[in-house]
Amino acid sequence: MISHEPHSRQTDVPNPSRTGMTFSSITADISHLPLERPRSRFWWTGFLVAFAGVMALVASIGWLFLRGVGVWGINMPVAWGFAIVNFVWWIGIGHAGTFISAILLLLHQRWRTSISRFTEAMTLFAVACAGIYPLLHLGRPQFFYWLVPYPDTMGLWPQFRSPLVWDVFAVSTYATVSLLFWYIGLLPDLATLRDKAGTRLKQRLYGLFSLGWRGDGRHWAHYERLYLTLAGLAAPLVVSVHSIVGLDFAVAILPGWHSTIFPPYFVAGAIFSGFAMVLTLVIPLRRVYRLENYITVRHLELMAKVLMAMGWIVAYGYFAEFFDAWRTGDLYERFVAANRATGPYAPWFWALMACNILAPQLLWPRALRQNTCVLFGVALAVNVGMWVERFIIVVTSLHRDFLPSSWGMYHPTFWDWTTFLGTIGLFVALLFLFLRFLPAVSMAEMRSLVGEKETHV
Amino acid sequence: MSAHCHSSTPPAFPPRKGNEFLPGASHWPADLSRREFLQLMGASLALAGLAGCGRPSSEKIVPYVRPPEMTPSPDAAWYATAMPWQGYARGVLAKSIHGRPIKLEGNPDHPESLGATDAITQAAILSLYDPDRSPAPLRDAQVSSWEIFEREWLVRHSDLAARKGAGFALLTEPTTSPTLLREIHALLDAWPEARWFQHTALPRYDRDGTQDDFDFSAPDIILSLGADSFYQHPAALRHIRAFASRRRSENNALRLNHVFALEPTLSLTGNQADLRLGLTPARIGVVLNALSRALEGDDLDSATAALSEIERRLVRECSALLRENSRSALCVVGPELPGEFHAWADAFNARFARDAAKKKPALRSDGDQRASGGLGALIEEIEAGRVSNLCILGANPAYTAPAGLDVAGALRRVAFPVHLGEYVDETARECAWHLPEAHFLETWSDLRAYSGTATVLQPLVEPRHAGRSAAEFIHTLRTGESRSAYDLVRETWRAGNDSDFETRWHGWLDRGVIDAVSAPRTRTPSPTATATASFPRFPGEMAPRGVTVLFRASANLHDGRWANNAWLQELPQPFTALVWENAALIDAGLAARLSLKNGDVISLETSDARLEAPVWILPGQAPETITLPLGYGRTHGGGVANARGFSAYILLGGSNPWQRDDVRVRRIGKSATLVCTQGHFTMEGRDLARSLTASEFAKAKREEDPAVTLFPAWAREGYAWGMSIDLGTCFGCNACVIACQAENNIPVVGREQVARGREMHWIRIDRYFDGDPAAPRVLHQPIPCMHCENAPCEVVCPVGATVHTSEGVNDMVYNRCIGTRYCSNNCPYKVRRFNFLDYRAPEGSPVYLQSNPDVTVRERGVMEKCTYCTQRINAARITAEKENRRIRDGELRTACQQVCPTEAIVFGDLNDPSSHVTQRKQERSSYRLLGELNTRPRTTYLAKIVPDSAGESPRAQESFA
Repeated sequence: MISHEPHSRQTDVPNPSRTGMTFSSITADISHLPLERPRSRFWWTGFLVAFAGVMALVASIGWLFLRGVGVWGINMPVAWGFAIVNFVWWIGIGHAGTFISAILLLLHQRWRTSISRFTEAMTLFAVACAGIYPLLHLGRPQFFYWLVPYPDTMGLWPQFRSPLVWDVFAVSTYATVSLLFWYIGLLPDLATLRDKAGTRLKQRLYGLFSLGWRGDGRHWAHYERLYLTLAGLAAPLVVSVHSIVGLDFAVAILPGWHSTIFPPYFVAGAIFSGFAMVLTLVIPLRRVYRLENYITVRHLELMAKVLMAMGWIVAYGYFAEFFDAWRTGDLYERFVAANRATGPYAPWFWALMACNILAPQLLWPRALRQNTCVLFGVALAVNVGMWVERFIIVVTSLHRDFLPSSWGMYHPTFWDWTTFLGTIGLFVALLFLFLRFLPAVSMAEMRSLVGEKETHV
Repeated sequence: MSAHCHSSTPPAFPPRKGNEFLPGASHWPADLSRREFLQLMGASLALAGLAGCGRPSSEKIVPYVRPPEMTPSPDAAWYATAMPWQGYARGVLAKSIHGRPIKLEGNPDHPESLGATDAITQAAILSLYDPDRSPAPLRDAQVSSWEIFEREWLVRHSDLAARKGAGFALLTEPTTSPTLLREIHALLDAWPEARWFQHTALPRYDRDGTQDDFDFSAPDIILSLGADSFYQHPAALRHIRAFASRRRSENNALRLNHVFALEPTLSLTGNQADLRLGLTPARIGVVLNALSRALEGDDLDSATAALSEIERRLVRECSALLRENSRSALCVVGPELPGEFHAWADAFNARFARDAAKKKPALRSDGDQRASGGLGALIEEIEAGRVSNLCILGANPAYTAPAGLDVAGALRRVAFPVHLGEYVDETARECAWHLPEAHFLETWSDLRAYSGTATVLQPLVEPRHAGRSAAEFIHTLRTGESRSAYDLVRETWRAGNDSDFETRWHGWLDRGVIDAVSAPRTRTPSPTATATASFPRFPGEMAPRGVTVLFRASANLHDGRWANNAWLQELPQPFTALVWENAALIDAGLAARLSLKNGDVISLETSDARLEAPVWILPGQAPETITLPLGYGRTHGGGVANARGFSAYILLGGSNPWQRDDVRVRRIGKSATLVCTQGHFTMEGRDLARSLTASEFAKAKREEDPAVTLFPAWAREGYAWGMSIDLGTCFGCNACVIACQAENNIPVVGREQVARGREMHWIRIDRYFDGDPAAPRVLHQPIPCMHCENAPCEVVCPVGATVHTSEGVNDMVYNRCIGTRYCSNNCPYKVRRFNFLDYRAPEGSPVYLQSNPDVTVRERGVMEKCTYCTQRINAARITAEKENRRIRDGELRTACQQVCPTEAIVFGDLNDPSSHVTQRKQERSSYRLLGELNTRPRTTYLAKIVPDSAGESPRAQESFA
């Protein structure tokens, strides 16, 4: 229904007709998940484990607010630590959803259909996790709203030259547009769930959130226009958010941060980590919920290709940093480059190289790309690698800067780790709730694909 | 300054008894245990009834009538007084606001201060408010009172009087106080059978009834033999001021002196040498023998045949300089070195020093004819059963006694031991009675400076607790009656029927020096050496006997009496930057031989004692030596002092108390974490602390103006504040660090927080090892905020909490700061400090009484940093505007500038072409730190300038990694 292109690239889309899919079987297969709640034991186990993480997060935040950011390992000179590392990591993960939904939509990559809903949800949850950190990391979080431009009696405004202010706009815009995009896409499916729900309460709730959707032709016309518009709005945001996160660093004069390559390199890294996270989540879930017919090996393979492509851009970013350090001859830049590779954090650096550059090269043979175990392993490695990359950028640049007298080390504390694991718990718990209450694959879009096939056949 | 202070009596403290004992008042309570809390609560309940023990005071104290030129708060008053420093006076001006003394500054009129102070003097104000100070008399560890003591004493007094004092012994520290000595002598007169002993934990400065008096500005050559004339010496501030006058360029002109040092362990004085060798005392003797032969005309090659290359270089350069007749030279010897070195130095000075070295009668009571000896003599007396009443004044022998002397055991044999001291310390616990002593800002007293000048110490406040002065106490002992310290001091100085006394007394209090009265003793020492006498020879170096262990006073805690001062505990120690504990300073070669790295624990064993200590490798330490800093490892020094580091006193002993060769040293396989504020001591080939030879300086050009920038330049109207710091004269004494802490309410964060890298000092002293590894040199570089014109911090703050003022100061707006810490990340000088936790003292803590009311106490989660003492700038501006004029140059000084003994820090208005700071910045050695970043710092540096010969050795920085 989205694409009116007559010659769809058939190899790129799942072939619902081949697997005997019909409008009603799609609706049944997918709505079955939120309405019938299969695999209950898996769900409860997973959810409770994740919920324990949420509790850890709550406890960590409580202790943090009670004692101050000193409960973390940050210090002078490493005044930013896990909070910023995790923020950038989560924001990066949050890029896959919008990239898949919006950019691939605009590029008519219809294989995105079966994963878009899930990745959009993942994006929202990752952005939610990311959004916590900048607030927590403030010395006086009670005054976070001073970052927002609002007219006050003293005529005080944010200091607009600071990239941290740009961050506030970029991230909040991105979160808003992503939420809207996701919610608009959900409307037809919410209506389907309303219609199929067994209990009065469910009917009421799904009915409330479906905003009176009746599948009317005018509804569809407005819906498609709005959806495409939002896709158009969201597409540049994919680039802008992580560019600005990159500028948080690049604007500083700190060697290791002060680099023009950062914005594009951060965007590529974000998509890289986002796709890795999608693969990490989708591979087990499609198995558990028996969605192999919807999220096929073909999908996984295509994502693997994107992963490899992004991996090379990221590798180029690493190369460019070292090349710049060498070419400019700047004493401090050169030192930072050498210190990363040979200093006290060298094991982290080489782990980064192994995870982000070496591991994706496994995917050159088609057989390995289609092997879900290998793919899962590579995706996991990239997730770890991208986290380590942010750690390297934040910590190794700060810990040895201009004056050797100020050099120090960064040692994360117990509370650093619980806060990090806590946001992972929050992320997973939200995903589980999503699987429980909302359709993980867009029924409406899948139905339209079948419809298209049938028309073309 | 306000006139009403003239007639004011010392104001009393607000009644805060209930809160006084809040725990960890002076440091962040990282882990206050429940038990500790209950103990303290119990103590404060027990003492709650004692409120109101203070005695009324009706004496007049006299403020400093002509106060220093900056007077921040209109109701601030300055009083000239003095701080006891090793028994001598160090003149200070105490600043009092609303009746609270809040800061000590040097007294420019006092010859041993000249307006400057050192770090310990700066920190002394905190001890006034130390919650651990003894609050009440204790009888067998139970709270008692002075009245009960006096009643009990009266019984003994009549008995003693009948026996002419037989069985009575007094133990004091050596002092210069005329009133205290008068009281002691009066007591000995009244009771001829009583005995007086003196104990000091540290070396004496007198020999044969004389003390040396040196002028460091005149000689062209200075040879230091293990001396710490610039830091530990009672006249250190005068010495370093004079010395520094020869080490800086003025109007691009130099008159550098040449400095050589031979010392076993790196000292702040030895580090000023252009050529410094770390040698054992025995080896120093060998080098001096060669130098003697060279000076007596022997062939240089044969004289130096037994020496190493670098030792030969020292003898060659030193003797060549000395042979130039026009030059005068001075040799100074550390008091820890044996007599033969002093004899050699006397011979040297007789020949070369001209008027720069004089001998004067000793001022301190070490050699007093009426004293019966030291601690050893006292213990012998006790063992012989001849002491039934013992009064200990101020000294802490139970902590500072060498291992061979069993002080606790001896005290148990005394029927009636009494202790007067500021703390319930190790000695107090062994005595039947402990009586609180008044702090020097709480009572009347008098002291002489090393130069002989006397000062009346006037109190600024009533004693916080029931403290009395030592002279009052002795008076009570002798007469059984109490008499005020005020009367006793006045009696000392009232010469007969002096009608003019009140005027003169007023004048003495006003200026802080008694200039009309000459030193009491006039015995002139006979010169021990003549200009033609030959140099005494040292015995040749013995075969290696193993490790030499040296004992030295700690730079921060001295003999341990400052151990409960959290500012000094958290002050990075010179050269090591260690805080909150001491370490065995070990030579790198010895460490390698024993396969030790920093923090590894060694065991040091003698026949009668054993000590475990973590090691710290110190470049410049003499081969096969270990230096143990004294003053740590207190067991009953107070909450801050206890269990910090180890006490090296238990190893003291032998014929030479400051050195032992019979210590078995071995590695025991344990390791400890030492906390240090600077983990990296090389410059990594970066151009940070600059050093130029004299000829490089002659060829140097003034640094160009900074490069272009896209940012619009700041308009330079009104004032343009700036600072210049001279690396040539900064010798790393840390006075500025503590002065800044006292002025700006900078919190102490505790050992654990420093270990995490969260110390809060607004000005720090960076230390870089440089030069030849065989004769390393440490460059000191004080780093306050640079107040950049293109400040990287200002651009990145999202809320505009750090902003530029029209006068070029980079301000912190604490109220606006939300704590993103981006400013710190972007600061290339890393001068910003963050309140990671709530570092403020607990509510109700007495240390708040020290706080400067003109400076905000910062809360958790905000960034802070050097403000160029903005409160002083504003105060000066207000004064100037009231008088309708501009702020005069020199009228306004930052806290770091004011205390600096070498005047290395100069601050002022860059728009004033005649200001001192503008002049300084015209020197060719002026440069910007990290100037290539184009931050345009307002704080700039003058490179250290050394004689050409000092620049010869190749730079080999890698060896200090």
